[in-house]
Formats: sequence, structure tokens, C-alpha cells
Amino acid sequence: MNLGGHHERSHQQIDWLLLAAVCCLMVIGIAFVYSASFADPSMHALSWTRQIHVKQALWYAIGVVGAIGLCFIEYHTLARWSLLAYWGAILLLIAVLIPGIGSSRGWGSQNWIDLGPFSMQPSEFAKVAFILMLGNYLSRPVDELKNGRLFWKSMGLAALPFGLIMLEPDLGSALVFFPAAWLMMFVAGVPAKYLFRLVGGGGTLIALLVVNTVFMPASWHVIKVPQYQRARLLTYFGQNFAPADATPQEQARARLTQRARSYNVDQALISVGSGGLFGKGWRQGTQYSLGFLPRSVAHNDFIFSIIAEETGFVGSVAVVALYTVVLFCGLRTAGQSRDRLGKILAVGVVTLLFVHVFINIGMNIRLVPVTGIPLPLLSYGGSSVLCSLLAIGLLFNVYYYRRSY
Amino acid sequence: MLIFDQLKKDDTPLRAIATAVLLCMILLVAGLWKVQIVSAKKHETDLRNQTFRSVRVPGVRGKILDRNGYVLAENGPRYDVNLYLEELPPYFNFEYTNTVKPAFKAAHPDTAIRGAVRARLSAEARYRVASNLLSRVSLDLQEPMILDPKRFHRHYESQPYVPFPLVSDLTRKQVARFVELASDLPGVELETQAIRTYPNGGTACHLLGYVQRTDKFEDEDINYRYYLTDFIGRTGIEAMYDDLLRGKPGTKSLLVNHLGYRQSEEMVRLPEPGNDVHLTVDLPIQIATEKALSEAMPNVRGAAVVVDVRSGDIISMVSLPGFDPSLYVRGMTHEQYAVLQDPKTTPMLNRAVYGAYHPGSILKIATSIACLESGLDPNAKFTVEPNPSRPSKGAIFIGKRKVEDTAAPGNDYDFEKAFIKSSNSYFIHNGLLAGFKSLVDVGLRFHLGELTEIFDPKMHQEAAGIYPDLDEEKDWNAGKVADLCIGQQVDVTVLQMALMTAAVANGGNVFWPRLVAKIQPSDTLKLDAEAINFAPRVRSNARLNPEHLRLIHTAMLADVENTKADQDGEGTGKQARISGFHIGGKTGTAERAVPGGKDHFTWFTSFAPVESPRYAVVVLVVSGSSGGGTCAPVARKIYEAIIRRENDASLASTVGRPASPTQ
Repeated sequence: MNLGGHHERSHQQIDWLLLAAVCCLMVIGIAFVYSASFADPSMHALSWTRQIHVKQALWYAIGVVGAIGLCFIEYHTLARWSLLAYWGAILLLIAVLIPGIGSSRGWGSQNWIDLGPFSMQPSEFAKVAFILMLGNYLSRPVDELKNGRLFWKSMGLAALPFGLIMLEPDLGSALVFFPAAWLMMFVAGVPAKYLFRLVGGGGTLIALLVVNTVFMPASWHVIKVPQYQRARLLTYFGQNFAPADATPQEQARARLTQRARSYNVDQALISVGSGGLFGKGWRQGTQYSLGFLPRSVAHNDFIFSIIAEETGFVGSVAVVALYTVVLFCGLRTAGQSRDRLGKILAVGVVTLLFVHVFINIGMNIRLVPVTGIPLPLLSYGGSSVLCSLLAIGLLFNVYYYRRSY
Repeated sequence: MLIFDQLKKDDTPLRAIATAVLLCMILLVAGLWKVQIVSAKKHETDLRNQTFRSVRVPGVRGKILDRNGYVLAENGPRYDVNLYLEELPPYFNFEYTNTVKPAFKAAHPDTAIRGAVRARLSAEARYRVASNLLSRVSLDLQEPMILDPKRFHRHYESQPYVPFPLVSDLTRKQVARFVELASDLPGVELETQAIRTYPNGGTACHLLGYVQRTDKFEDEDINYRYYLTDFIGRTGIEAMYDDLLRGKPGTKSLLVNHLGYRQSEEMVRLPEPGNDVHLTVDLPIQIATEKALSEAMPNVRGAAVVVDVRSGDIISMVSLPGFDPSLYVRGMTHEQYAVLQDPKTTPMLNRAVYGAYHPGSILKIATSIACLESGLDPNAKFTVEPNPSRPSKGAIFIGKRKVEDTAAPGNDYDFEKAFIKSSNSYFIHNGLLAGFKSLVDVGLRFHLGELTEIFDPKMHQEAAGIYPDLDEEKDWNAGKVADLCIGQQVDVTVLQMALMTAAVANGGNVFWPRLVAKIQPSDTLKLDAEAINFAPRVRSNARLNPEHLRLIHTAMLADVENTKADQDGEGTGKQARISGFHIGGKTGTAERAVPGGKDHFTWFTSFAPVESPRYAVVVLVVSGSSGGGTCAPVARKIYEAIIRRENDASLASTVGRPASPTQ
């Protein structure tokens, strides 16, 4: 990892380490999306162009082209277009809520826009656009950031997409905005008192929400959380679904629901755990091929289960290590960037990636409650892959132009 | 971390973020360590439990053979039509999408199809598919059949990984029709399974016992998720040697998917076939005994036992009425079950060993020994007094109580005449002289009142009978002792009488009955295929005086062979007589008070040939007219079969018909 002395590095235009880590992740992504499709008999009938690993490779290609394209435009120029990107994304987020345009694809949340041959998830694009927007907004002189109005405006920039995504509803994607906003403000130099207030307020709110939802009888609920969200939280905190005063029939029914609700997590945990030290070998996992890991989520939100089952502890730690390399390369880029905009953007991208990685892997091993968010680069899905690559493209961009003044 | 060092020292926010990110990544690794290393075992177990189903595969049950290798119980094929559910999901889906769902939508346009409604509709679609397949099969087999929805749903929910039995026990004709017409239906397979068959029907049923389908084998400690049809012996040899007959089960491991359908299977452990049990029974004589006993009277209830007096081998043992053990294998109707449970005929009761009866006059053999041992002069003449109310017959008074005698009054009753006329007066008079202790002692030397242990005593399939102990004298007044002399007041089994008679015939050795000659692995090629041999075992010697035995042999021979011309007149057992084959016998007719009158137990006990005894034959008929009239002819027919068998070893010559397993 020694990249040589400071002098040498100043000539370097491409962050090779980051590039290597990203390439490794993409290879792993194709390999395990293929493993997943290989085990699914319904996939065998499809022509090779419709195989999900081929599609995934296609999205990688599109993403890589997009990211390279992004590098041709200096990030200051990009930032000037951020307003357009942000409001465009907001429009899409509104559009997705309109019946007829948005689609739930048969699942709980209405977060897709069908575009014929493929469909897109506006919330993914909103994440990247938001980072660009907020980075641009916060890159003004530090003195201005002491103004309270500016802080609240920044919060408003995060709250708008958060609220729209919550309407879909997709808690996981919505929650990403606040850590990103917070850390971007943190490195931008927003006074600590505002940031503490945000942490204190947000923390209290979340704590109250959890107590309200999980530990209190239904009749006391001040805030009504959607049933499936409540179930996820109950599952995570190991609480009984049935209220204490329920009749035996109600309790039995609640137990059934509970088992159904915690099914995915239980199966993910079995997948990961049964991988052991070295795993069962590529394409040898049974959890997906026998359908215990639901086919609908396994190759996207639960792709890590498949990797962990087939490659074991060794493989899962390797994946975590690759992400750590990506994140630290991002932070290094932030440290070396030539101005505050570059630094804020890099930190935003790192936060975005980190939150996704931590929550996704965490939910596979029951460290965090289940929230349906993808694992960047590894999960199957065009919008997620494309946006992750565009975000990483931003990192390369900041790195490339770090010495250009 | 080098990258960490590369962050500018004064950039505190970035360093803080880097530290936080690093800590979180370490937390992830720690979490992975916990899940994948620390609790890997638990998750592997969970995985195994949800993806594998162990199935018990029975070993081939051993055969039960007669002493010459004729088959008494073996395994035959049963043809079933099974439905493999894992081949049907496409059909389930088709039915759901094209029939069930549209129909429901048309009927309930406002109801959303999800949750319980959806589950109910899916179940309906599955039932319709299975039901349609059954109708096709039913049509092809030309037998109306209806699929029980409850049974189908229960099977689908609890064990979809094993085939659902559509039709069981097809006839040969149906098998042919199925193969020709229905064999290409999806998921429908014709399969055979080994089930217990008894090629001779009810022959030797009480010895063989019966088996029943079960999943519970208390001596096996592995728990399986599913048990392929296997049987456990409930009575008789099937029960007594069940563990040896059963063999060792194998294990099949099924890989199932999340819906519980079978994906693949693997034989983890091969089953081992059981052992063959070779009985001492001779099938032709068994069949002949059965036939002879059944001809004693209409609807006969009784038992007959043939014992080899030299070894205690059970040559044949019959109890009537019997039953067909196959009924328990193939299932029976309520009517058939009611017949088996009839309280009067009690076909399940083994009257040869589990029924205990007053022996009546056949016990006079023991009384004779007691009297002779107490000093009775066999030549001394005894006077039988006439019965005041029936002067042509005798009677004896014990105190005020009168015991009637079938022997005529007269003053010339020596031992032999008293024996062949079965004079109650003579044996009571002399028995009382011998006394309780002497009488009981003889019976005890023949192990009366004790189990013969022909079956494992733990099985509780044998009665010990009722016989007093020596120290019970105070409970026995003269009247009761008088009854004892003529075989009332005590209960014995037919087998006990056969072993007593055998001991009298062989000079005093009381044998343990031997029913099993050897137990041998079916697979004789197996390296450790070693047979367990059971040698004849003498239980004890009854310490009988040869002179007394000679007197009794002579008297028993006379009982059968004396003719009217003889000095003492003819014996009660004359109907057992076969010219050229000397049978020694003793008849008996015991009475038991039953509600509304008296019932009779008629007996004939015998051995032959008298000059060199080989066989003891005892016949009991309940409600017969007399020992001599009802039972002696049965014994004669049995001896005739034995003679034919000795002269010509072929089966057909003995039983008059070929007895082959295919019958």
C-alpha cells in the first residue's frame, strides 16, 4: 500500500488503489450474481442476454463509462449543474409517487419508474444528486456557515428527498441522507453547536420512535409506523409481535407473522453462519438454490449472504477489506483535495458508500434492523450500480483535479 | 494504515471520520467472526435441519420357515400408486392461474387475493390437480376413488418431500391396466413395497403371530423425519424375535427445498436384511393337525399340540378358530375386525398355551403315579358302588358329597380296568389314600402351574394355569382333593399336558418346549453370518419309577386298543386306534359351571408308538361331547398324517394337496 513519497504522488492522476479495489468488487459482483442466477432454475430458460449476471456486467460497463465521462468535467463545473441534478431528482421522486408512473413491482414500496426495457429507482439518483447539491451549497466561505439559516437550509435540502422517499415508503434509502448531510457539514466547518443539536435531536427522535413502536402497547402509539417497519424493528429487538394481553389465538397468529417477518433475516443468518471459515465454494451454496433465501431479494439486498455462504469468513472479511480500502481511498482523496468543495464531495461519497455497506452487511448478520438498501457494486440492480459508480467517479474526479490550480 | 497516516495531521475532522469508519468496519468483522466462526455450528445445524429430511428405510424382514425350510412367513410385493408432489408445482400454478383465481375473482370481485385467501386458493388448486390425477387413475383402474381433501392437505403440509399414496394395494389386473394406460401421468408412479405375506393363510397363525405397521421402534434410538412402511411383530414368533427378524434399517437423506419438495436423495446407510427364523414345526403335520381338529365338530373351539417326546420340539400346534395374519398387514374391515374380537370364539386366543382348562380325567395319569408311588397294588380289586339315582353307573361319596362315575358298578376294578374305564371312584378312593401332598408333588414334578416359556414370558402370551403348592394343604379338604384326583379344581394348558405326556412317554424327562430350531441371517454370504442354534433342553426329570411307567404305558395302550373281546372291555380312547401303530392314550371330560348350565372340556392325550415313543399328541375341544368321542378321532387323524409323513416325505402325500408359497 505504500504509494511512495509525497513528491511522486503529486504526479499521479489516477488513484490506482481505489481503481483496483473497485475492479475487484465488480468481479466479485458478477461472480456471485452469476452464482445466484446459476442456482435459480427459472433463469436457465432465459436467453443469455437476459441473464442477470450479463445485465449486471452491462450496468457495470455503463457505470464505468459514466464515471469516466464524469472525470472529463472538473468537479467545480459539475457542482454548478448540481441545482439541475438535485431538482431533477426531486421531480423524479415526486413522479414515482404518482400512480401509473411509479411502480412497486409487487413489493411494499412504490420506488420504481418503469422505462420499458429497464426500470430505474429515482431514490438512488437522488442520493448522488444530493451530495453534489449539498457539497456545492456548503463550499461557500466558512464564515457564512456560522449563520443559522444556512444550517437549516442545508437540513431542508436533506429533508426534502428524505420526506419524499419516506412516502414511497423506503425507510432504508431515506435514512441515508442524514448521516451524509451531517458529515458533509462536519467537514465543511458548520459550527459544532448545530451539529450536536442535530445529533441530540435526531438521536432523541429515533429513541422515542423505537420506544414508541417496540416497547409500548399499540393503543399508546403516538406515531403510527407502517406495520412492516414495526415488524422489522420488533424482529431486531427480539420482541414478541403479540401484545401481552393477547388471546392464545392472537398470540399464535402473531407468532406465525413473526416467523414470516423474520424469515429473511433468519435465512440470511443461516447462510452467513453456515459458511464457516472457508465457505462451501463458489456456486455450492444451498440456501439460495433451494429457495430458503427468497429468490426475490437474494441477489440484491442479500447478495452478501450468498458471498458469505460460499466463501466463508475469509471471503466476507475480504469483501469488508475491499470496502475499507475504497472508503479510505475516498477519505485520502478528501484530505488531498485542493479545496473545500472537493473535500466535502469526497466525504459525502464516502459516507454514502459507508452507510450502505455498514447497514447492508450489518443486516445480513443481524447487527442492524432490516432495511432494504443495496450493497454498493455487489447487489444486482442497474440504478444502484450506476449511481455507486457515478459516486466513485466523483472521487476520481476530485483526485484527478487535486493539483490543477 | 498508511492511508490514515497520509491524512494531514491537522485535519481533525477527517481523522475522526476515518477512525469512526475503521471502528465500524472492525465491528462488522467482529460480527462476522461471531456469526461465521463462533456460532457456525449452530447455523450449520439449522441449515441441516431445514434442508435435509432423514427417512428410515426398513431392512427386509426375515422369513419364518418350518423345520424343512417350507415358508411360513415371507415378504411379498404390494403395488401402490404414489404421487410425487415435487413434479407438480407447474401444474399447481397453471390450475391456480387459469381456474381457481379467475373463478374466485368472478365470485368475489371486491376481495383482494392475498394472505389467507391466497393460501386457501393455492391449496384448492393443489387439491384440484391431485384430484384430477386420481380421477384419471381411477378411470384407468376402473375403480371409483375420491381424494380425501383433509388427508391430501395434511400430507402436503407435513411431508411434501415424500410421495402421497394415491391408491394402495393394486390387484394384478389393475397393475396391468395401470402400466398400459396411466403410467405417463405427471408425478404418478407405480411402486412396489415389501409387505409381510403368509403363504399358508391362517396356518400356524398363533405360533407366527402377526405384524402391524408402525413407526415406533423402542429399541432404535435414531429419530427420523419419515418412516417408510415397516412392520413390528405384535404376537407370536413375529413379536418374540422381532428385533432379529427386522434387520437393521437404513437411512435415506432427502435434500428438500424451501417448499419442502424433494430435490435429491442419497442413501446414507444401507439397510441390512433381518434373520430367518427356522421353527421346529413341520408344515405338513401342522396343516394336517389343523384339518383334523377342524373336523372334530362344527365351529370347533379347541387346540391340538404335537410334541416330539425325545426333544420337546413342537411339531405342530393349532388353536381354533384361527385368523389370517395378513389382515393385520393389508388392513381389515370393521366386520372382519369384529369377527376377530368375538368374545365367544376368540380367534386371537391361542387355546394351546394361553387358555387354561380343567384337565379332567387326563390328569388321572398323574394321579396314577401318585397312587403307585404311595403303594397302590395295581392288581388289587376295587369295588365301584352303584349310583343310587342312576344304578347303571357308579358313584363315590366323600362325606355327604356324591361324585358320579361313568364306569359301571362292579367289584373287579384293578388299575388297568379303572384306567381304561376312567373310574372316578377308583382314582378318588386311591388318590385320597395317597394324600394331597403326594398328588400335588407329582403335578409339580411335571411343572404344572408354571409357564413352559414357549414364548418369552415378558410377552404375556402364555398362561401358567392354576395348580396348588405343597404348603397349601390346609386349604384342601377331602372334597377338593377328590376333585384334584379327577382333574377338577386345577387348570392346565394343552401344551403343559403335552409335555407331561411326553415325559411319561420318554421315561421322565420334562422338556422345555422348543419352537425355534435356529435363527440364521437371510444373507448367508455375509461374513459374520452365523446362525444361533437352539438345542433341546431338559427342564427337569420327573423321577418316575420305570415299573410305574410300564403300568401306565400298558394302561394307556389298552385305553386305545382294548376291544370288546378283552377281559376288561374296550377303553374310552378306542376311536384313536390305528392298526399297526400303537397309540397309548387317555381321555378326559372336565366340567365347568357356566351361566345357565355346564360346559365341557373334552380331552385326549396320547403318545405313540408305545413301544418306542416319538410323538405326544394332545387334543382339547371346548364343548365337545366326550374325550373319546370328540377328541380321540382327531388324534387318530393326526397320527395318520404323521405316519404318511414318515413313510413319504413329500408334502402332498401328507396333506393331500400341494402347499406352495404361490398358493
